[in-house]
Amino acid sequence: MRSRRDVLKSAVLGGGAGVMAATALGSLGPEAAFATATSAAPGVEPGAPDPNFAEGRIRSIKDNTLLVLGSNMVFHTIRVVDGTSLWKLGPVGFDQARPGDGLYARGVRMPDGMLAAEAVWLNIVNIKGHITDIKDQTLRLDHNGHEVLCHVVPGRSVAIHSESPPTADLSLLKVAQHVQILGAWRPDTNEVDIATVFSPH
Amino acid sequence: MARTTSGPPADLLGPVQGEVSWFCCGNSWGPCSSTGKGACGTCNSGSLQHAWPNTSDACWAITRPDSCGVGLSRRTCGYRHRTTALCTGTSVVTSIADCGPQTDLFCGERSCCGATCASNRLIDLTPAAFSAIASLSSGLRPAEISTA
Repeated sequence: MRSRRDVLKSAVLGGGAGVMAATALGSLGPEAAFATATSAAPGVEPGAPDPNFAEGRIRSIKDNTLLVLGSNMVFHTIRVVDGTSLWKLGPVGFDQARPGDGLYARGVRMPDGMLAAEAVWLNIVNIKGHITDIKDQTLRLDHNGHEVLCHVVPGRSVAIHSESPPTADLSLLKVAQHVQILGAWRPDTNEVDIATVFSPH
Repeated sequence: MARTTSGPPADLLGPVQGEVSWFCCGNSWGPCSSTGKGACGTCNSGSLQHAWPNTSDACWAITRPDSCGVGLSRRTCGYRHRTTALCTGTSVVTSIADCGPQTDLFCGERSCCGATCASNRLIDLTPAAFSAIASLSSGLRPAEISTA
């Protein structure tokens, strides 16, 4: 049986019609994508950069390819193919990627250096801090001494209180409480749209 | 959920189970741009690394896993652990690059996938490492941690 990674690799090597962008109809969700095993590149030493992973901000988008400038000033060419899962506050299509978006991507590094993407997470952040203020549709988080304004997105934002199932009711969150917020950064701001608030209580 | 203060201290003479999350470090964008290279001075989001709650006395004083009834071993920069996602069985080997997570602030927290659960935050992986065993969008997973 061919692995998902094999399919991605062959999709890229095959070229032509097989190499198509994930469509606006939506891509495979990231949880489904990771239901199958994924892994770091074989032979990579712990502590070393993983060549099957990329980080940075999108400089340009052409066809199904993202040109990304890494925060370490290294450029990455990331190819989105049929099986690629994309996330931007939730599963999205490739048409939601924008120049300026930050991203993390995992896939298979091809011989020419291009990364055939298995998953791309756009603007994803996972920050911890104390809640300093709560309003109707926002909460402010002190994250390492920096304020982050977090927006509740109706129909999308949920809270998980320990092992309880996710709930759209965020009313149990309290000022001074320590939480973890998984969300999507609004580029070039200190603002984040909330996907999930993890609360220990 | 009430704090868990009982039970034998966990050590890594054998595997322990706990929660795993991810954090960014090194050069980055967004809220991560203010994050440095971590307590070891080597941390980068794109490298196979992790934070550990007991890298030094100063680190332990911040993270205090003992307040959750967990007594993790002292391990210093570069030490290798294997983290296995209990949801998928996939594992990754990483080395210590920072102090964390702040276990005491999430004491007693429990995450599950199906009937498989684990309590207390024992390790934070870089995005490169976490994404090797789970989707970054899952945020928090139950895991088993062992020496590598």
